[in-house]
Amino acid sequence: MESGGKGREEEQDGMSVHSPCKAPPSSASSLPKEQSQVELELRLLEALEIYPPVKLQGIHRHFVLFGLMEFLRRSFDRHFSSDEVLQLLDRFYNLEVLKPDDEEMEILNHEEEFCLPQSFFVKEES
Amino acid sequence: MGNSSKDDSTTDGDTSSGDTPPSNPNLYAEGEKVLAYHGPRIYEAKVQKAEQGKKDWRYFVHYLGWNKNWDEWVGSERLMKHTEENVLKQQALDKKQGVDKNPKSGRSAQTKPKSSADAKVEKEDLKTNVPKGKKRKNDSGAEKDTLSFEKLVKIQIPSTLKKQLVDDWEYVTQQDKLVKLPRSPNIDDILRKFLEYRLKKEGTIPDPVVEVLKGIRCYFDKALPVMLLYKKERKQYQEAVKDDISPSFVYGGEHLLRLFVKLPELLAFVNIEEETLTCLQQQFIDLLKFMQKNQSTFFLSAYDGSKGVEGKGKD
Repeated sequence: MESGGKGREEEQDGMSVHSPCKAPPSSASSLPKEQSQVELELRLLEALEIYPPVKLQGIHRHFVLFGLMEFLRRSFDRHFSSDEVLQLLDRFYNLEVLKPDDEEMEILNHEEEFCLPQSFFVKEES
Repeated sequence: MGNSSKDDSTTDGDTSSGDTPPSNPNLYAEGEKVLAYHGPRIYEAKVQKAEQGKKDWRYFVHYLGWNKNWDEWVGSERLMKHTEENVLKQQALDKKQGVDKNPKSGRSAQTKPKSSADAKVEKEDLKTNVPKGKKRKNDSGAEKDTLSFEKLVKIQIPSTLKKQLVDDWEYVTQQDKLVKLPRSPNIDDILRKFLEYRLKKEGTIPDPVVEVLKGIRCYFDKALPVMLLYKKERKQYQEAVKDDISPSFVYGGEHLLRLFVKLPELLAFVNIEEETLTCLQQQFIDLLKFMQKNQSTFFLSAYDGSKGVEGKGKD
Protein backbone atom coordinates (compact mmCIF):
# COMPACT_ATOMS: atom_id res chain seq x y z
CA MET A 1 0.00 0.00 0.00
CA GLU A 2 2.70 2.38 0.97
CA SER A 3 4.75 1.83 -2.10
CA GLY A 4 1.69 2.15 -4.28
CA GLY A 5 0.83 5.50 -2.78
CA LYS A 6 4.32 6.69 -3.19
CA GLY A 7 4.33 5.67 -6.79
CA ARG A 8 1.24 7.65 -7.50
CA GLU A 9 2.66 10.66 -5.79
CA GLU A 10 5.73 10.53 -7.92
CA GLU A 11 3.63 10.24 -10.97
CA GLN A 12 1.65 13.31 -10.01
CA ASP A 13 4.76 15.21 -9.20
CA GLY A 14 6.17 14.30 -12.52
CA MET A 15 3.09 15.55 -14.27
CA SER A 16 2.68 18.78 -12.35
CA VAL A 17 6.22 20.00 -12.49
CA HIS A 18 6.53 21.84 -15.71
CA SER A 19 9.86 23.43 -15.22
CA PRO A 20 12.05 20.95 -13.38
CA CYS A 21 14.65 23.47 -12.36
CA LYS A 22 12.46 25.40 -9.90
CA ALA A 23 9.67 24.79 -7.38
CA PRO A 24 10.14 21.96 -4.93
CA PRO A 25 7.25 19.50 -4.67
CA SER A 26 4.35 21.14 -2.91
CA SER A 27 4.35 18.64 -0.06
CA ALA A 28 7.76 19.78 1.08
CA SER A 29 6.69 23.33 1.66
CA SER A 30 3.81 22.32 3.92
CA LEU A 31 5.93 19.95 5.93
CA PRO A 32 7.30 22.41 8.50
CA LYS A 33 3.82 23.70 9.05
CA GLU A 34 2.46 20.23 9.68
CA GLN A 35 5.33 19.53 11.97
CA SER A 36 4.66 22.59 14.04
CA GLN A 37 1.03 21.56 14.33
CA VAL A 38 2.03 18.17 15.60
CA GLU A 39 4.40 19.79 18.03
CA LEU A 40 1.65 22.10 19.19
CA GLU A 41 -0.78 19.28 19.73
CA LEU A 42 1.81 17.22 21.56
CA ARG A 43 2.55 20.07 23.91
CA LEU A 44 -1.09 20.67 24.48
CA LEU A 45 -1.64 17.04 25.42
CA GLU A 46 1.28 17.31 27.78
CA ALA A 47 -0.30 20.37 29.35
CA LEU A 48 -3.60 18.57 29.72
CA GLU A 49 -1.94 16.08 32.02
CA ILE A 50 -1.50 18.91 34.48
CA TYR A 51 -4.69 20.76 33.67
CA PRO A 52 -7.41 18.20 33.08
CA PRO A 53 -10.05 19.37 30.59
CA VAL A 54 -12.87 18.48 33.00
CA LYS A 55 -11.83 21.41 35.11
CA LEU A 56 -12.53 23.73 32.19
CA GLN A 57 -16.19 23.26 32.89
CA GLY A 58 -16.49 24.55 36.40
CA ILE A 59 -15.46 27.27 38.79
CA HIS A 60 -11.78 26.71 38.12
CA ARG A 61 -12.20 27.16 34.36
CA HIS A 62 -10.38 30.44 34.05
CA PHE A 63 -7.42 29.45 36.17
CA VAL A 64 -7.06 26.19 34.26
CA LEU A 65 -7.21 28.11 31.01
CA PHE A 66 -4.65 30.51 32.41
CA GLY A 67 -2.43 27.56 33.26
CA LEU A 68 -2.71 26.20 29.73
CA MET A 69 -1.93 29.58 28.22
CA GLU A 70 1.14 29.94 30.37
CA PHE A 71 2.28 26.41 29.65
CA LEU A 72 2.10 26.94 25.90
CA ARG A 73 3.63 30.37 26.14
CA ARG A 74 6.66 28.92 27.87
CA SER A 75 6.89 25.97 25.50
CA PHE A 76 6.80 28.03 22.32
CA ASP A 77 8.04 31.34 23.57
CA ARG A 78 5.10 33.21 22.16
CA HIS A 79 1.79 34.51 23.36
CA PHE A 80 -1.32 32.34 23.23
CA SER A 81 -4.75 33.88 23.55
CA SER A 82 -7.50 32.12 25.42
CA ASP A 83 -9.44 31.67 22.18
CA GLU A 84 -6.47 30.06 20.54
CA VAL A 85 -6.13 27.59 23.37
CA LEU A 86 -9.82 26.81 23.31
CA GLN A 87 -9.74 26.23 19.56
CA LEU A 88 -6.82 23.89 19.97
CA LEU A 89 -8.67 21.99 22.66
CA ASP A 90 -11.63 21.73 20.38
CA ARG A 91 -9.62 19.39 18.16
CA PHE A 92 -9.62 16.83 20.94
CA TYR A 93 -12.59 17.48 23.13
CA ASN A 94 -16.15 18.50 22.95
CA LEU A 95 -15.88 20.73 25.97
CA GLU A 96 -19.56 21.46 26.16
CA VAL A 97 -20.34 17.87 26.95
CA LEU A 98 -17.98 17.79 29.91
CA LYS A 99 -19.55 17.98 33.34
CA PRO A 100 -17.90 19.51 36.37
CA ASP A 101 -16.43 16.85 38.60
CA ASP A 102 -17.60 15.77 42.04
CA GLU A 103 -14.78 17.58 43.72
CA GLU A 104 -16.38 20.79 42.69
CA MET A 105 -19.75 19.84 44.08
CA GLU A 106 -17.95 19.01 47.28
CA ILE A 107 -16.61 22.53 47.64
CA LEU A 108 -19.86 24.17 46.77
CA ASN A 109 -22.03 21.99 48.94
CA HIS A 110 -20.19 22.63 52.15
CA GLU A 111 -21.52 25.89 53.37
CA GLU A 112 -19.48 27.44 56.12
CA GLU A 113 -19.17 30.77 57.81
CA PHE A 114 -16.36 33.05 56.70
CA CYS A 115 -13.57 32.90 59.21
CA LEU A 116 -10.71 35.34 59.40
CA PRO A 117 -7.51 33.47 60.27
CA GLN A 118 -6.04 34.10 63.68
CA SER A 119 -2.90 35.57 62.16
CA PHE A 120 -4.81 38.66 61.10
CA PHE A 121 -5.55 39.55 64.69
CA VAL A 122 -2.10 38.79 65.95
CA LYS A 123 -0.47 41.01 63.39
CA GLU A 124 -2.67 43.89 64.28
CA GLU A 125 -1.57 43.96 67.87
CA SER A 126 2.13 44.00 67.25
CA MET B 1 -17.86 4.76 52.48
CA GLY B 2 -21.51 4.64 51.65
CA ASN B 3 -21.73 0.96 52.30
CA SER B 4 -20.21 0.98 55.71
CA SER B 5 -22.48 3.69 56.98
CA LYS B 6 -25.49 1.78 55.76
CA ASP B 7 -24.39 -1.30 57.65
CA ASP B 8 -23.82 0.62 60.79
CA SER B 9 -27.14 2.29 60.75
CA THR B 10 -29.10 -0.93 60.36
CA THR B 11 -27.37 -2.67 63.23
CA ASP B 12 -27.54 0.35 65.46
CA GLY B 13 -31.19 0.79 64.76
CA ASP B 14 -32.06 -2.78 65.66
CA THR B 15 -30.22 -2.78 68.93
CA SER B 16 -31.45 0.53 70.16
CA SER B 17 -33.59 -1.00 72.86
CA GLY B 18 -31.10 -3.57 74.15
CA ASP B 19 -27.52 -2.33 73.92
CA THR B 20 -26.42 0.84 75.53
CA PRO B 21 -25.49 3.44 72.97
CA PRO B 22 -21.78 4.04 72.44
CA SER B 23 -20.43 5.96 75.36
CA ASN B 24 -18.40 8.31 73.19
CA PRO B 25 -20.33 11.32 72.03
CA ASN B 26 -19.97 12.90 68.64
CA LEU B 27 -17.45 15.63 69.33
CA TYR B 28 -17.16 17.24 65.95
CA ALA B 29 -19.94 18.34 63.67
CA GLU B 30 -19.94 18.06 59.92
CA GLY B 31 -18.59 21.25 58.47
CA GLU B 32 -16.75 22.14 61.66
CA LYS B 33 -13.30 23.60 61.35
CA VAL B 34 -10.85 21.66 63.46
CA LEU B 35 -7.19 21.08 64.02
CA ALA B 36 -5.92 17.69 62.98
CA TYR B 37 -2.73 15.84 63.64
CA HIS B 38 -1.15 14.51 60.51
CA GLY B 39 2.27 13.05 60.94
CA PRO B 40 4.38 15.26 63.16
CA ARG B 41 2.33 18.39 62.71
CA ILE B 42 -1.07 19.87 63.31
CA TYR B 43 -3.06 21.20 60.38
CA GLU B 44 -6.24 23.16 59.96
CA ALA B 45 -8.90 20.85 58.68
CA LYS B 46 -12.58 20.62 58.10
CA VAL B 47 -14.85 17.77 59.04
CA GLN B 48 -16.63 16.70 55.88
CA LYS B 49 -18.49 13.77 57.33
CA ALA B 50 -19.00 12.35 60.76
CA GLU B 51 -19.93 8.74 61.07
CA GLN B 52 -20.61 6.50 64.01
CA GLY B 53 -18.59 3.33 63.95
CA LYS B 54 -19.05 0.37 66.28
CA LYS B 55 -17.27 1.98 69.19
CA ASP B 56 -16.25 5.42 68.17
CA TRP B 57 -17.03 8.23 65.86
CA ARG B 58 -15.00 8.57 62.72
CA TYR B 59 -14.48 11.77 60.83
CA PHE B 60 -13.69 12.35 57.21
CA VAL B 61 -11.45 15.40 57.17
CA HIS B 62 -10.15 17.71 54.51
CA TYR B 63 -6.90 19.51 55.27
CA LEU B 64 -7.57 23.13 54.45
CA GLY B 65 -5.47 24.34 51.58
CA TRP B 66 -4.24 20.88 50.67
CA ASN B 67 -5.16 18.75 47.76
CA LYS B 68 -8.14 16.59 48.54
CA ASN B 69 -6.06 13.53 47.90
CA TRP B 70 -5.04 13.96 51.52
CA ASP B 71 -8.61 13.76 52.76
CA GLU B 72 -9.03 10.82 55.07
CA TRP B 73 -10.99 9.15 57.83
CA VAL B 74 -9.58 9.71 61.28
CA GLY B 75 -10.61 8.99 64.81
CA SER B 76 -11.33 11.69 67.35
CA GLU B 77 -7.90 11.20 68.89
CA ARG B 78 -6.42 12.87 65.82
CA LEU B 79 -8.60 15.94 66.14
CA MET B 80 -8.78 19.01 68.33
CA LYS B 81 -11.26 21.81 68.62
CA HIS B 82 -10.26 24.92 66.70
CA THR B 83 -9.64 27.12 69.72
CA GLU B 84 -7.12 29.82 70.30
CA GLU B 85 -5.34 27.63 72.77
CA ASN B 86 -5.02 24.78 70.32
CA VAL B 87 -3.86 27.10 67.58
CA LEU B 88 -1.03 28.10 69.89
CA LYS B 89 -0.27 24.45 70.34
CA GLN B 90 -0.12 24.10 66.58
CA GLN B 91 2.23 27.04 66.28
CA ALA B 92 4.45 25.71 69.00
CA LEU B 93 4.67 22.38 67.22
CA ASP B 94 5.51 24.13 63.98
CA LYS B 95 8.35 25.90 65.65
CA LYS B 96 9.61 22.69 67.11
CA GLN B 97 9.57 21.00 63.74
CA GLY B 98 11.49 23.87 62.26
CA VAL B 99 9.30 25.91 60.00
CA ASP B 100 10.76 25.96 56.58
CA LYS B 101 8.99 27.54 53.66
CA ASN B 102 7.20 24.36 52.70
CA PRO B 103 6.26 22.59 55.87
CA LYS B 104 4.87 19.75 53.83
CA SER B 105 7.74 19.42 51.42
CA GLY B 106 7.86 15.76 52.20
CA ARG B 107 4.34 15.48 50.96
CA SER B 108 4.72 17.37 47.79
CA ALA B 109 7.52 15.16 46.63
CA GLN B 110 5.26 12.22 47.02
CA THR B 111 2.70 11.24 44.46
CA LYS B 112 -0.95 10.81 45.24
CA PRO B 113 -1.65 8.25 47.90
CA LYS B 114 -3.30 5.05 46.83
CA SER B 115 -6.82 5.18 48.08
CA SER B 116 -6.76 1.61 49.27
CA ALA B 117 -3.92 2.20 51.65
CA ASP B 118 -5.33 5.00 53.71
CA ALA B 119 -3.78 3.82 56.89
CA LYS B 120 -0.38 3.44 55.36
CA VAL B 121 -0.29 6.92 54.03
CA GLU B 122 0.48 8.47 57.31
CA LYS B 123 3.39 6.20 57.98
CA GLU B 124 4.82 6.83 54.58
CA ASP B 125 4.35 10.48 55.13
CA LEU B 126 6.29 10.35 58.33
CA LYS B 127 9.09 8.57 56.61
CA THR B 128 9.33 11.00 53.76
CA ASN B 129 9.30 13.89 56.15
CA VAL B 130 12.30 12.65 58.03
CA PRO B 131 15.33 13.12 55.80
CA LYS B 132 15.79 16.79 56.36
CA GLY B 133 19.45 17.14 55.73
CA LYS B 134 19.12 16.02 52.15
CA LYS B 135 17.82 19.13 50.58
CA ARG B 136 18.16 19.16 46.86
CA LYS B 137 20.06 22.17 45.77
CA ASN B 138 19.92 22.12 42.00
CA ASP B 139 17.00 24.46 42.15
CA SER B 140 15.46 24.30 38.71
CA GLY B 141 16.28 20.75 37.76
CA ALA B 142 14.99 19.05 40.84
CA GLU B 143 11.77 21.00 40.93
CA LYS B 144 10.83 20.09 37.43
CA ASP B 145 10.94 16.33 37.61
CA THR B 146 8.43 16.20 40.40
CA LEU B 147 5.73 18.63 39.44
CA SER B 148 4.74 19.57 42.91
CA PHE B 149 1.01 19.51 43.15
CA GLU B 150 0.75 20.62 46.71
CA LYS B 151 2.16 24.09 46.60
CA LEU B 152 -0.14 26.61 48.15
CA VAL B 153 -0.36 30.05 46.71
CA LYS B 154 0.81 32.48 49.30
CA ILE B 155 -0.98 35.73 48.94
CA GLN B 156 0.51 38.55 50.87
CA ILE B 157 -2.32 40.91 51.68
CA PRO B 158 -1.07 44.48 52.21
CA SER B 159 -1.23 45.48 55.86
CA THR B 160 -3.77 48.27 55.45
CA LEU B 161 -6.08 45.81 53.73
CA LYS B 162 -5.52 43.32 56.51
CA LYS B 163 -6.64 45.99 58.88
CA GLN B 164 -9.65 46.50 56.65
CA LEU B 165 -10.52 42.83 57.04
CA VAL B 166 -10.25 43.02 60.80
CA ASP B 167 -12.49 46.09 60.85
CA ASP B 168 -14.90 44.24 58.62
CA TRP B 169 -14.95 41.37 61.10
CA GLU B 170 -15.46 43.81 63.94
CA TYR B 171 -18.38 45.60 62.28
CA VAL B 172 -20.24 42.50 61.26
CA THR B 173 -19.61 40.00 64.01
CA GLN B 174 -19.11 42.29 67.01
CA GLN B 175 -21.24 45.31 66.26
CA ASP B 176 -24.02 43.62 64.29
CA LYS B 177 -23.60 45.94 61.37
CA LEU B 178 -23.86 45.15 57.69
CA VAL B 179 -22.51 46.45 54.42
CA LYS B 180 -25.34 48.29 52.76
CA LEU B 181 -26.24 46.61 49.48
CA PRO B 182 -26.04 47.04 46.56
CA ARG B 183 -22.58 48.48 46.74
CA SER B 184 -21.17 51.05 44.41
CA PRO B 185 -18.59 50.53 43.06
CA ASN B 186 -19.47 46.87 42.94
CA ILE B 187 -16.97 44.12 42.25
CA ASP B 188 -17.62 44.21 38.56
CA ASP B 189 -16.79 47.92 38.59
CA ILE B 190 -13.64 47.39 40.60
CA LEU B 191 -12.32 44.74 38.24
CA ARG B 192 -13.17 46.89 35.24
CA LYS B 193 -11.40 49.86 36.79
CA PHE B 194 -8.39 47.70 37.34
CA LEU B 195 -8.34 46.77 33.66
CA GLU B 196 -8.67 50.41 32.65
CA TYR B 197 -5.83 51.29 34.95
CA ARG B 198 -3.60 48.61 33.46
CA LEU B 199 -4.50 49.64 29.95
CA LYS B 200 -3.59 53.21 30.69
CA LYS B 201 -0.35 52.22 32.31
CA GLU B 202 0.84 49.58 29.87
CA GLY B 203 -0.98 50.32 26.65
CA THR B 204 -2.29 46.76 26.32
CA ILE B 205 -3.98 44.22 28.47
CA PRO B 206 -2.45 40.79 28.08
CA ASP B 207 -4.94 37.98 27.68
CA PRO B 208 -3.73 36.16 30.79
CA VAL B 209 -4.63 39.16 32.93
CA VAL B 210 -8.15 39.14 31.58
CA GLU B 211 -8.41 35.44 32.25
CA VAL B 212 -7.30 35.80 35.85
CA LEU B 213 -9.81 38.56 36.48
CA LYS B 214 -12.55 36.42 35.00
CA GLY B 215 -11.39 33.67 37.28
CA ILE B 216 -11.60 35.91 40.32
CA ARG B 217 -15.07 37.04 39.39
CA CYS B 218 -16.23 33.49 38.82
CA TYR B 219 -14.76 32.34 42.13
CA PHE B 220 -16.44 35.19 43.90
CA ASP B 221 -19.86 34.49 42.49
CA LYS B 222 -19.68 30.84 43.42
CA ALA B 223 -17.83 31.17 46.69
CA LEU B 224 -19.76 34.05 48.22
CA PRO B 225 -22.74 32.11 49.53
CA VAL B 226 -20.62 29.10 50.44
CA MET B 227 -17.68 30.56 52.32
CA LEU B 228 -17.46 34.34 52.22
CA LEU B 229 -20.33 35.36 54.45
CA TYR B 230 -20.52 35.75 58.17
CA LYS B 231 -23.58 34.09 59.63
CA LYS B 232 -25.19 37.41 60.33
CA GLU B 233 -25.05 38.33 56.66
CA ARG B 234 -26.98 35.35 55.33
CA LYS B 235 -30.42 36.84 55.53
CA GLN B 236 -29.24 39.95 53.77
CA TYR B 237 -27.72 37.82 51.05
CA GLN B 238 -30.99 36.07 50.40
CA GLU B 239 -32.74 39.38 50.07
CA ALA B 240 -30.12 41.14 47.97
CA VAL B 241 -29.15 38.42 45.53
CA LYS B 242 -32.29 37.42 43.69
CA ASP B 243 -31.96 34.38 41.48
CA ASP B 244 -30.33 35.60 38.31
CA ILE B 245 -28.26 38.54 39.45
CA SER B 246 -24.60 37.82 39.93
CA PRO B 247 -23.19 38.65 43.36
CA SER B 248 -20.38 40.64 41.72
CA PHE B 249 -22.95 43.26 40.82
CA VAL B 250 -24.29 43.50 44.34
CA TYR B 251 -21.27 43.23 46.61
CA GLY B 252 -18.19 45.41 46.72
CA GLY B 253 -14.61 45.59 47.88
CA GLU B 254 -15.36 44.45 51.43
CA HIS B 255 -16.43 41.02 50.27
CA LEU B 256 -13.98 40.80 47.39
CA LEU B 257 -11.20 41.22 49.89
CA ARG B 258 -12.46 38.22 51.86
CA LEU B 259 -12.05 36.13 48.71
CA PHE B 260 -8.31 36.69 48.86
CA VAL B 261 -8.23 35.03 52.26
CA LYS B 262 -9.90 31.99 50.74
CA LEU B 263 -8.13 31.96 47.38
CA PRO B 264 -5.32 29.63 48.43
CA GLU B 265 -7.87 27.07 49.55
CA LEU B 266 -9.81 27.27 46.32
CA LEU B 267 -6.75 27.19 44.11
CA ALA B 268 -5.50 24.12 45.91
CA PHE B 269 -8.04 22.20 43.88
CA VAL B 270 -6.22 23.12 40.69
CA ASN B 271 -2.80 21.70 40.01
CA ILE B 272 -0.75 24.63 38.92
CA GLU B 273 2.90 24.53 37.97
CA GLU B 274 5.24 26.53 40.08
CA GLU B 275 6.22 29.05 37.44
CA THR B 276 2.62 29.71 36.55
CA LEU B 277 1.77 30.01 40.20
CA THR B 278 4.36 32.72 40.57
CA CYS B 279 2.77 34.65 37.69
CA LEU B 280 -0.60 34.20 39.26
CA GLN B 281 0.61 35.39 42.62
CA GLN B 282 2.00 38.52 41.05
CA GLN B 283 -1.33 39.23 39.44
CA PHE B 284 -3.16 38.85 42.71
CA ILE B 285 -0.72 41.22 44.31
CA ASP B 286 -1.20 43.75 41.51
CA LEU B 287 -4.91 43.71 42.05
CA LEU B 288 -4.55 43.95 45.81
CA LYS B 289 -2.23 46.91 45.48
CA PHE B 290 -4.73 48.56 43.20
CA MET B 291 -7.43 48.02 45.79
CA GLN B 292 -5.16 49.41 48.44
CA LYS B 293 -4.51 52.49 46.37
CA ASN B 294 -8.23 53.07 46.06
CA GLN B 295 -9.06 51.98 49.56
CA SER B 296 -11.12 55.07 50.33
CA THR B 297 -13.42 54.59 47.33
CA PHE B 298 -13.62 50.80 47.26
CA PHE B 299 -14.36 50.30 50.94
CA LEU B 300 -17.01 51.71 53.22
CA SER B 301 -15.74 53.61 56.21
CA ALA B 302 -18.90 52.87 58.15
CA TYR B 303 -21.29 49.94 57.99
CA ASP B 304 -25.02 50.03 58.39
CA GLY B 305 -26.34 49.44 61.85
CA SER B 306 -29.22 47.31 60.70
CA LYS B 307 -30.03 45.12 63.63
CA GLY B 308 -31.18 46.35 66.99
CA VAL B 309 -31.30 49.95 65.84
CA GLU B 310 -34.66 49.57 64.20
CA GLY B 311 -36.29 52.92 64.81
CA LYS B 312 -33.45 55.29 65.37
CA GLY B 313 -30.17 55.73 63.59
CA LYS B 314 -31.79 57.59 60.77
CA ASP B 315 -29.21 60.17 59.89
